[in-house]
Amino acid sequence: MYGRILLAAAVMAALAMAASAGATVKTPSGQTAGSITVWLQVDAQTGWPDAVAAANRQFEQAHPGTDVKIQYQNWGDHLQKFDATLAGGSGPDVIEMGNTEMTKYMAAGAFADLSSRKSGFANSASWLKGLAQAGTFAGKLYGVPYYAGSRVVTYRKDLFTKAGLRQAPNSLAQYRFYAQKVGKKNTSKGFSPIYIAGTDWYFAMSFVYDYGGQIAATSKGKWVGRLDSAKSMAGLLAYKNFFKATSRASKTTDETRPNPYDVYARGQAASMVGPSWFSCCVGDKYKATSAQFVMPSHDKGKPMPGFLGGSNLAVPVTSGDKALAGDWIRAFTDTASQRTFQAKGNIPNATNLLGTSVNERAAVRSWFVPTAKHWVDVENGNILRNMLAQILTGRLTIKQAASSASDNIASVLNRP
Amino acid sequence: MTAAETSILESPRRRRVTLARLARASVPYWLILPVLLAVGAILGYPLYSLIRLSFQHYGLFELIQRQGQPIGLDNYRSVLQDRVFWDTLARTTVFTVANVALTIGIGTLLALLLVRVSTAVRLLLTGGLVLAWSMPTVVAVQVWYWMTNYENGVLNYVLTELHVGDFFHHDWYATTFSQLALVTALVVWGALPFVAITLYAALAQVPRELVEAAEIDGARGWRIFRDVTFPILKPVLLILTSLSIIWDFGVFTQPFLLIGQSQIHPSNYLMGVYLFEEGYFKSDFGRGAAISILMLAIVAVLSVFYVRKMVKVGDAA
Repeated sequence: MYGRILLAAAVMAALAMAASAGATVKTPSGQTAGSITVWLQVDAQTGWPDAVAAANRQFEQAHPGTDVKIQYQNWGDHLQKFDATLAGGSGPDVIEMGNTEMTKYMAAGAFADLSSRKSGFANSASWLKGLAQAGTFAGKLYGVPYYAGSRVVTYRKDLFTKAGLRQAPNSLAQYRFYAQKVGKKNTSKGFSPIYIAGTDWYFAMSFVYDYGGQIAATSKGKWVGRLDSAKSMAGLLAYKNFFKATSRASKTTDETRPNPYDVYARGQAASMVGPSWFSCCVGDKYKATSAQFVMPSHDKGKPMPGFLGGSNLAVPVTSGDKALAGDWIRAFTDTASQRTFQAKGNIPNATNLLGTSVNERAAVRSWFVPTAKHWVDVENGNILRNMLAQILTGRLTIKQAASSASDNIASVLNRP
Repeated sequence: MTAAETSILESPRRRRVTLARLARASVPYWLILPVLLAVGAILGYPLYSLIRLSFQHYGLFELIQRQGQPIGLDNYRSVLQDRVFWDTLARTTVFTVANVALTIGIGTLLALLLVRVSTAVRLLLTGGLVLAWSMPTVVAVQVWYWMTNYENGVLNYVLTELHVGDFFHHDWYATTFSQLALVTALVVWGALPFVAITLYAALAQVPRELVEAAEIDGARGWRIFRDVTFPILKPVLLILTSLSIIWDFGVFTQPFLLIGQSQIHPSNYLMGVYLFEEGYFKSDFGRGAAISILMLAIVAVLSVFYVRKMVKVGDAA
């Protein structure tokens, strides 16, 4: 009896643990003969499925009989899924990586070296520096720039015009001034003149960089957290004040729960900060009256430095056919595809393709995360988000929250 | 026929009988062999791999090379020296005690209620329980999040309408206590049907005469439950309690999805989440393996108390 119960307990415990691991272990199988598997983020599925279809057609014409299987992934768990496929050896042939996620995987040798094919990719001589750097490690190319995006303000022109705003605000103070006027005219409960998810660290760090601060820097070969420097803390204070004056959003939530554009489309926000493709989802009611402008700096006349997000396309070392995988990337990043991404409000991957859209103008001043092997652990560990929640809720002072975050960041980045 | 010949003739016959006996005696072992093989393949090998992994440095680089670096007890040492581990262990223990107590307590009350109500109400209640039971966890999390969300959660609306207070834009995800309270509500809600229906079945074992005899002796409500019903339910309660401990101690899906990845932080880790963050998010699989072995040991220790009691009850019966 005793033994049986113990065995039963062991079985249950093992099952419980297997269940917790189960979320990530399940992996769609990779290559079958005559096909390649591509992991793209859902952004492509919702934003530019036509470009994906065009690349597939072009690829399948060049390689008759080879199928392209597109599997759409989510930012939240695609790396865990990818890790599982690395262990199983049946992963995708092409994977889209966020530019902040590349370094860790390049350092671990997860991707195939594409340096010898570089000239075969369209516009590779004039790739955006930030994206090309994100895909390069120790002088070798592992990730082909896919597209970039900056963050802009999407706003209700009707409401702001009524409040007296005639043209895009040219300073942070001016934007705040008109936002507060909009707030006075729209007193419905929970209405945000500017919807800002409290822990939207991309936006908050823009304040830090705008005030001359930074997240971390290297000193004598070691990473040092810099959020507790005077300039960074000035930026954090400005963020806190700006949030308090203009946003009724949750102080502890991120920019996906809820999606800012859902709040906006319900008429509960007069403006919001986010990728320029937010214009897709402002709701039919406000489509005609919505417009975008570049987020202004506290320094009059300048744009606020924005996070230059972007993606790279890489070929995992586990791919069964790296040449085919490279060919698909070439098709998907050619000039025609880039023009489609651009038309959907993204920044194309090369300077010679740049236009004058609000998104592209916002990219003039940008910042990027510290290029450290373990940076992605800082992101996933929510060190910055937790700091922002502490600051906005007032649980900790800016100094307390910033120094604790700085220490945490340094200890993560300096891990061997 | 001589005596010698007889003995020669007899001895093979005796051997044959012995073989047949042996064969008959071994039948049960042959019958359980497939099960043993299956258990060995399904549990034994992964457990062996897990233990081996826990003695290796196994990160992203090793994952790609499919070759770990043996490092002895370093993983265990680093986990046991991690403050976050001990904080998480304490938090998870409190969480487990609260969840198990609520699950078993409310489950027992529901089962007692099921016995007393009319057939129609009982069917309605059982139907509701089964519906809650059949809801996939991930879907349940979505519904709970929708009900409790900050912007337009129905919970805030109802509480405000009932004049409990102004809950407009109340942020249920603002503090660790509030986050884990929501997770507790979700976990208990999900576990209740199993407990209530099992206990309801067990209550059918309570002989009516015993209750009547107790009533004649003047016992009422609580007294009858304590002295008549409870002793009969005890074995089932012990099984349910130990299972609940094991489930709640390692719970992962509910806290991870309800609190949400972007709000998961060392200050609200439960053991399952800690394991996931350390092992998967940081791509330190060896350390993750060490944590799961430690969790297994802790759950075993937590369960031993109940297992021992259960054995005593079993022996007495």
